[in-house]
Amino acid sequence: MVSESVLIEKLTQRDQRAFHWLYDQYSPALYGVVLRIVRDEEQAQDLLQDIFIKIWKNLDAYDAQKGRLFTWMLNVARNTAIDALRSRKTQPTSAIRTDEENVHIVDRQYNTEQPNPEHIGVKEVVSQLRPERRELIDLVYFNGYTHEEAAEALNMPLGTVKTRIRAALQELKQLFKS
Amino acid sequence: MNVTEYIASGILESYVMGAVSDQERREVDCLSSIYPEIKQELDQLSASLENYALLHSIEPPPQLKASLLEKLNFDEQKDRPETIVRPMPVEPTSGPTFQVTWIAAAAVGLVLLAFSFFLVSRLYNEQQTLSSLRSANSTLQTELRQLRDRQQRDEQTLALLRQPGTRTLELRGNEKAPNGDILLYWNPQSRQVAVEVRSLPPLQPDQQYQLWSLVNGKPIDAGVFDGGNAAPFLQRLNRPIGQADAFAVTVEKRGGSPTPTLSTLLAMTPVKS
Repeated sequence: MVSESVLIEKLTQRDQRAFHWLYDQYSPALYGVVLRIVRDEEQAQDLLQDIFIKIWKNLDAYDAQKGRLFTWMLNVARNTAIDALRSRKTQPTSAIRTDEENVHIVDRQYNTEQPNPEHIGVKEVVSQLRPERRELIDLVYFNGYTHEEAAEALNMPLGTVKTRIRAALQELKQLFKS
Repeated sequence: MNVTEYIASGILESYVMGAVSDQERREVDCLSSIYPEIKQELDQLSASLENYALLHSIEPPPQLKASLLEKLNFDEQKDRPETIVRPMPVEPTSGPTFQVTWIAAAAVGLVLLAFSFFLVSRLYNEQQTLSSLRSANSTLQTELRQLRDRQQRDEQTLALLRQPGTRTLELRGNEKAPNGDILLYWNPQSRQVAVEVRSLPPLQPDQQYQLWSLVNGKPIDAGVFDGGNAAPFLQRLNRPIGQADAFAVTVEKRGGSPTPTLSTLLAMTPVKS
């Protein structure tokens, strides 16, 4: 296992082997997140390439003092995907999706989910999370909803959203600790 | 700051979820660099989300990597200069200039302030010098006036004494004026008489001293003169006196009397031939 600081050093030196390692290590996670956000395989693949190019070019902007490398990469991926999703939504030519289509997309997304040998316990861990908390995490983290938007979507007070987000993450923290 | 309360507020959870404003983000960045507890909580929350994201891992198609590497190599050569060249940040340059301007302005202000203090103290000194010079000047003028008066007196006396035949007689006061002392200058040829009052008692405003010359026992008016401090040093008397056996001084009413009042006789001296 390569330590993160060594990896960052190699990456800032533009070491191609480090990039290969970075891609092999993190592309499934980033692809999973992007696919979950845009729910379109073709777009997700284009975005994933954009995201890795961004990461490669903006490594200087990464500050190890502020957070972990993977967290930073996740944020780059999330922001890129959410931006793409929003610009697609604001395009006047794009067709308004019906609920039926949404169901289809969700189905397809869940169908593409391949069994990952590294994360066999996914369903178990996630199933331990309370459904309403999981929903909230997914809305905010994967769909880029603000607190206000989430409160509106879930039809609950803003204060409750804030409280639940905290509770959900604390629960997540405990789940991964054990 | 209460770190525990801050951690419990839920802002760190919102932060890792990307649901904070730019201002809140900066606040969390700042505080996490100060408080290790906040940094630790932030790391744990990030790790939880990382794990959560990992749970959703999906292997991308294998050809994607090749395509990406191709793009990267291509992009690297073409875009690298573009990525390296960055606009110069504006703030750092404007900051020091701003400060330099302020420092310069403050320095100029200080110099002006110091200069005006210097001018005010100079002015004060000048005024003091001026007033001391003024008083010295008036003292000098007074002394000059006194010297001039004395010189005039001395010249008059000298002029009188220079005349051939001028005689000097001293009249001393009797018991009525024990300290009385008069010098009399008399020239029989020019018939001029002058008195120099050295010391005589002061008189009433309506009184004057009168000098008499005695010729063959008869008193002849020789003129009036004043005593006291206000009197001139040398008083010429405007009666021509050609002859005298003796001189006498009496106190008379102002303007003089035709005959002497003997009861007020103060001094008398014979003229020795």
